[in-house]
Amino acid sequence: MLFMREPMRVALALITSMSSLGAVYGLMGVHFIAAFQVLIYVGAVMVFMVYVIMLLEVKEAPGSKRFSSYVVPGVVVGVLLMAALGAGMLRGPMSSGMLPGEGSGTFSLVEFSSAFLTRYWLVFELTTVFLVGAIVAALAVVNVSRRKQEGA
Amino acid sequence: MNTPLALIALLPLLGFLLNGTFATALGGKRFNNTVAAVIACAMPIAAFALTIQAFLTLQSNGYTPIVAPLYRWALIGEHTFDITFYFDRLSAIMTLVVTGVGSVIHIYSTGYMHDDKSFGRFMAYLNLFLFFMLLLVLGRSMLVLFVGWEGVGLASYLLIGFWFDDLANAIAGRKAFITNRIGDAGFLLGMFLLYRAFGTLDMDTINSAFVGGQAAMVSASLVGFFLFVGATGKSAQIPLYVWLPDAMAGPTPVSALIHAATMVTAGVYLVARMSGLYMQAPDASQLMAVVGVLTAFMAATIALVQTDIKKVLAYSTVSQLGFMFVALGVGAYGVAIFHVVTHAFFKACLFLGAGSVIHALGGEQDIRKMGGLRKHIPITFWTFVISTAAIAGIPGLAGFFSKDEILWYAFASEKGGAPWLWAVGALTAFMTAFYMTRLLWLTFFGASRMSHEVEHHVHESPLSMTGVLGVLAVLSAVGGYIGIPHFLEPQIPLPPVVESLEHYEHTLLYVSIAIAFAGVALAVFMYSGPASRPAGIARAAGPVRVLLEGKYFVDELYAAVIVRPLAWVSEHVFLKIGDKMLIDGTLNGLGAFAQRSAGWLGRAQTGSLQFYALLVMVGMVGALLWSWRHV
Amino acid sequence: MNESQFLLAIAGGLFTIGLLGVVIRRNALVMLMCMELMLNGVNLSLVTFSQQRGDAAGAVMVFLTFVVATAEVALAIPIVLLLVKHARSLDVDRYSELKG
Repeated sequence: MLFMREPMRVALALITSMSSLGAVYGLMGVHFIAAFQVLIYVGAVMVFMVYVIMLLEVKEAPGSKRFSSYVVPGVVVGVLLMAALGAGMLRGPMSSGMLPGEGSGTFSLVEFSSAFLTRYWLVFELTTVFLVGAIVAALAVVNVSRRKQEGA
Repeated sequence: MNTPLALIALLPLLGFLLNGTFATALGGKRFNNTVAAVIACAMPIAAFALTIQAFLTLQSNGYTPIVAPLYRWALIGEHTFDITFYFDRLSAIMTLVVTGVGSVIHIYSTGYMHDDKSFGRFMAYLNLFLFFMLLLVLGRSMLVLFVGWEGVGLASYLLIGFWFDDLANAIAGRKAFITNRIGDAGFLLGMFLLYRAFGTLDMDTINSAFVGGQAAMVSASLVGFFLFVGATGKSAQIPLYVWLPDAMAGPTPVSALIHAATMVTAGVYLVARMSGLYMQAPDASQLMAVVGVLTAFMAATIALVQTDIKKVLAYSTVSQLGFMFVALGVGAYGVAIFHVVTHAFFKACLFLGAGSVIHALGGEQDIRKMGGLRKHIPITFWTFVISTAAIAGIPGLAGFFSKDEILWYAFASEKGGAPWLWAVGALTAFMTAFYMTRLLWLTFFGASRMSHEVEHHVHESPLSMTGVLGVLAVLSAVGGYIGIPHFLEPQIPLPPVVESLEHYEHTLLYVSIAIAFAGVALAVFMYSGPASRPAGIARAAGPVRVLLEGKYFVDELYAAVIVRPLAWVSEHVFLKIGDKMLIDGTLNGLGAFAQRSAGWLGRAQTGSLQFYALLVMVGMVGALLWSWRHV
Repeated sequence: MNESQFLLAIAGGLFTIGLLGVVIRRNALVMLMCMELMLNGVNLSLVTFSQQRGDAAGAVMVFLTFVVATAEVALAIPIVLLLVKHARSLDVDRYSELKG
């Protein structure tokens, strides 16, 4: 994904990654998260991105460069980062095995949703507040652009 | 009876403040000249009256010293510094002279400076001077004396450069101040030594410690030497006398008050006050006597060829101060004070008389352009005659008594008297009689060498001036009979006389009288005849004359050896290297460094989002690595 | 290496690749998509830890990140649109008016 030239192809690669992640979640036994991954990420976010790419593709000047000015230092530091993370992981204590396989008790839908709405109820509220904030921000952006259009 | 002592000093200060604020441009000249004059003269006269009262109190107490503490100046740890006034026989004499002569000179100034545009400022400065001088003579602690010492130096600077529109006057004032300061460095060193040894600077305490032999911890000669260095600055001895002739740039009352009667005698007063110390310091005393007699001789030789009326009197003052130091050097402290008093009378009269002549001639000071004035300004003439006779040592007048005692003790004192001191002193006395008579003759006798318009305008001075001249002339005449050395004897003993020489006393007396008359006669002989006589001798003694007229080229020597190198160092080392390179360079360098580093650091703000993200990555790597070490 | 370590390695890899992509690529939209990739990596690691400990808290946090990611994209796209309108290009190097 890092090396493809067309943004459309990058988007398609990303969709592929996300779908595979969804499959991984399902295999891990957290089914509803897998469902949400595909629904929200692939279904909403990536569709939006593809739409915007299509919209803006026309304005793109052909023959533009693919990589930014910081490509070499970026790659170097990226490799370093991966090495550091790997080293950190190998240092840590070897964790126990896992993966009880299919949807065991904790992650069954019933249990999860009830826990979500009782024990982790604060998170729920936070998400709603956050969404309201996002709606307001979106409206503001639309207003700004509209005002600019009128003023210009 | 505490108040009067402090009041004696504080009254002139009050006069200074009043006149300084209201009679000068500072306060808009609210007081006119008359009011300023009244205030300025009333203060010294009141101080004189208070001094007389204090003296009578002293007398009735059997001459036990009056100690009047005024104010605790400083308390540093366990050390206290008080402002205390001290009145004993010596202070009484000095204070009477300072306030008395000071008062009459103030009265004289009201007449002399009448037309000056800065009259109020002048009277204010005179009062300021008087305040500091009284602090000097009334102080108990050397610290108070030093405040007065510095203060009279300041007043002298202000008054010498009084007509500062002329740059030469300002330079003369500066020269006086700086030369004084060099002496003050010595004075301070002496004070430091004394304080370290005794823990106090009260002069009476220190004196009794030295006399009682409890002062082994400090070398009396060393301290005596340092204090003498201070005295050479203030009292114009070799090598720091060079400021006194230049100080004639100030108005004549200033020359009379400061540079004849009072300030220059401060050094003599200091030594006399510290007589207990000097009695234990034979080396310093010997040095004083030698320097004194050399100064007296040298100044007298220079005075022989001077042509400015005030310069003759200036060098005469230096010479007479030399005599006083001779007396101090041989242990005759009371006699030195006696000479201070008589000198104050006749020298003030001479200076004020010169001022009267200058006033009459409308500003002329060159005696080659005078002559025959005795018919025009008779009162000035007669007072001048009396005071000239006094200084020449004509018997019966004041100067005779004091000078003769000095010469006697120079010869016969057990504490350093020597025949060669007497011989040089006698030669100087001869020259004194000679040049003073020369001055008198060239100014008042003979044919007139004045220009025509000047001769027309010659007039006698107003009463304020002539009255004062009269008073001082009377004092010059009878002042010798006061007998000060015997008055001071209980406090400051006269030195013992070498037994074998005692019978010379009358011989030397006759020799002194002969010298005085010989000097006068020679001068009359030389200058009353045709002008070829002095001119012939001048030609015969050619190179000597050049040396004398050049004042032994001392000023030039100082300029070449001290002033120019110092100026060079200041310019090249301190200014160019120290100030411009080091200090300015450092500051400018710091500023430039800050600017450059800011510019360099500012390059991190590229405005590019990806650069910032890259930096975040780098930071993350760093944080991870760091946490592996510490977790 | 057991399975959880493998999954964590993949999560770390996803995150690093995403961050690398943000730094490397020039196109603004591609940068956005790389940011989505980063979020996915984080999600994976959260789920892994949650599974390991048998605690539902991790899953709940994943839920939160879903919401945040969605809102973020919903707002980032219009911003990019405005930027494009202003600078007439998708090249992020042209957006450096905050320089210095």
